Amino acid sequence: MKIKNILSPAVVTTSLKSTTKEGVISELLDLLVSAKLVTDRDAVLSALMDRERKMSTGIQHGVAIPHGKTAAVKNLVACIGIKKDGVDFASLDGEPSRIFIMTLSPLDRVGPHVQFLAEVSMVIKTEEARERLLNAKTAQEVLAVFGI
Amino acid sequence: MAHEMMLLALQLGVILVATKLNGWFFSRKLKQPKVLGELVAGMVVGPYVLGAIPLGSLGALFPPVVGTVPVSPELYGIATVGSILLLFSSGLETDLPTFLRFSGKASVVGLGGVIVSFLLGAGITVLLHPAVHSIMEPEALFLGTICTATSIGITARILGETKKISSPEGVTILAAAVLDDVISIVLLSVVVGISAVEMGGGSVAWGGIGAVALKAVGFWAVCMVAGILVAPHLTKRMKRLESLGVVAELSFGIALLLAGLSEMAGLAMIIGAYITGLSFSQTDVSAEITERVKAVGEYFIPVFFAVMGMMVDFKAVGAVLGFGILFSVIAFAGKLIGCGFPALFVGFNLKGAFRIGAGMLPRGEVTLIVAGIGLASGAIGADMFGVAVMTMLLASVAAPPLLVQAFKGGSGYRKKLEEPDAGDVVTIELDFPSERAADFLRRSLADSFRSEGFFIRTIEGSVKSWQVRKEEMVFVMKRQGSKLEFTGKREHEAFVRLMLMESLVDFQEFVDSLKSMEQPEMMGAGLLMNMFAQK
Repeated sequence: MKIKNILSPAVVTTSLKSTTKEGVISELLDLLVSAKLVTDRDAVLSALMDRERKMSTGIQHGVAIPHGKTAAVKNLVACIGIKKDGVDFASLDGEPSRIFIMTLSPLDRVGPHVQFLAEVSMVIKTEEARERLLNAKTAQEVLAVFGI
Repeated sequence: MAHEMMLLALQLGVILVATKLNGWFFSRKLKQPKVLGELVAGMVVGPYVLGAIPLGSLGALFPPVVGTVPVSPELYGIATVGSILLLFSSGLETDLPTFLRFSGKASVVGLGGVIVSFLLGAGITVLLHPAVHSIMEPEALFLGTICTATSIGITARILGETKKISSPEGVTILAAAVLDDVISIVLLSVVVGISAVEMGGGSVAWGGIGAVALKAVGFWAVCMVAGILVAPHLTKRMKRLESLGVVAELSFGIALLLAGLSEMAGLAMIIGAYITGLSFSQTDVSAEITERVKAVGEYFIPVFFAVMGMMVDFKAVGAVLGFGILFSVIAFAGKLIGCGFPALFVGFNLKGAFRIGAGMLPRGEVTLIVAGIGLASGAIGADMFGVAVMTMLLASVAAPPLLVQAFKGGSGYRKKLEEPDAGDVVTIELDFPSERAADFLRRSLADSFRSEGFFIRTIEGSVKSWQVRKEEMVFVMKRQGSKLEFTGKREHEAFVRLMLMESLVDFQEFVDSLKSMEQPEMMGAGLLMNMFAQK
């Protein structure tokens, strides 16, 4: 799987405004809806929040990976949002989350989204890559971190 | 034609019943490899013993056949398919990475065994056989080659049963046994080439022999490299057919094609079959192919061993019984010295060297194939074929108890077993409250991986472990008590962690759904009450 086949400037924002978990997820979902990648917004939001209730997707070093399985998509879709100030995402290390990589995959398969996140994680493993993402002013600068 | 086919059906029926029952008797009651039972069954029901007795209007079930092989071409053809299936599955079961990892040590051990065994085997034939005067004569060459091959099947089976496959000695024995078979097969091609020249009259042209050797090694090397490179791409495409059965059947078709091509190139058919197996052994569907090929092999391989047993002409063997026993002892010594001595120089102590020597003793399929080809080509007679079978039988009977005894006690390796690229390998551990919980989650994880196109196969050993594989991504899942352990390459760590997390989330959902279930004791009570309910 190639990251560049999944991501485009239309699904990247460097100016998330919300200050709550649900707000951030909702904002990210709007990106996918605007890009016409998702249709049934309410059902997808419910799937994402349902997943968060089971186990928070806030990991470490300010990175969160909200994701969900839904019948509203046929293939994997993803978006990226940055919020420099950070949001409490109930992350594993207790740090506020700043970099959000959200994925939605079809109900029957988790593999593509796991593969996508594994590839993304290889890129943002370094402190330097995360700093570049946080300092990005445009969607293009964000994508450049992933070599797109 | 109808009569021949009727006879073939009857022969196959008798062979299958006899080999299966005797194989069961040997493995269950005598604690010996099944292959011995199958060979003995062939000897007993074959054309030289019971098969020669006339059965009314049918005549003898195995009537004498004029020529080098004492069975009908139809039956010999079915046996040949059996030998191709056997070598194809042997190739599939060979672990190429392990083979490559210990290839240095194993090459020394394997080569030592081949050289010493060949020289001793051919030498004793020249010394004691009145009709053989030179080591270059077909009989000496064939008997030398017969001494060289080690049975991977028998060795692997014994090592597996004694849980010694992963020990330094075990790995070296297996890698060297593979190498032995490869060298023996190549040697066979050379010997067949020389024998053809010898028997056709005229002097041996060394240039011609060099060409035969080069052709054998070249065919082997080119097919190996091409096979290993092409097989993963080929299976990727074949998997699109969405039927593992079809993948296995196509791969066996390729094995038959390559076997035929080997024969066309003047080499043994088994070379092609083995290379095809070895090529597919590195793909993620190897376990699935092996499972299906083995199921078919269960019907055909006993026919091959039985037909090999049928070739033993007891009258001819009787005349060379003394030579046969001496030859067997020499063949034992060839392996014990030839493999054990070099092992001392590649990190093993005396105990380890003896284990390796003993582990290399079993003779099996390749020995029989070499002897069978020698007999079919007329290079060796029925008496020397009998000697080969006797050697195989004695070695295979003597090796298992010797090997079990040899492996008692401490390590036979001077250093600790080095882990390859330890820095590149990551282990993820998950602790559960009980063994049952760990096993439950292990099954659920296995299902998740399977639904993502991974193939899972059980790894033999003392600890329960499974290989999880999809194309180049491979990791090992182990359960030790209530702990699950995942070991794989660092580059795949993120994928494995995320997959595990997703499975745990699913598991959590399952646990939540269980909590909301009506109380199980009430359900149980309801079940019992209904048992005695009146209509």
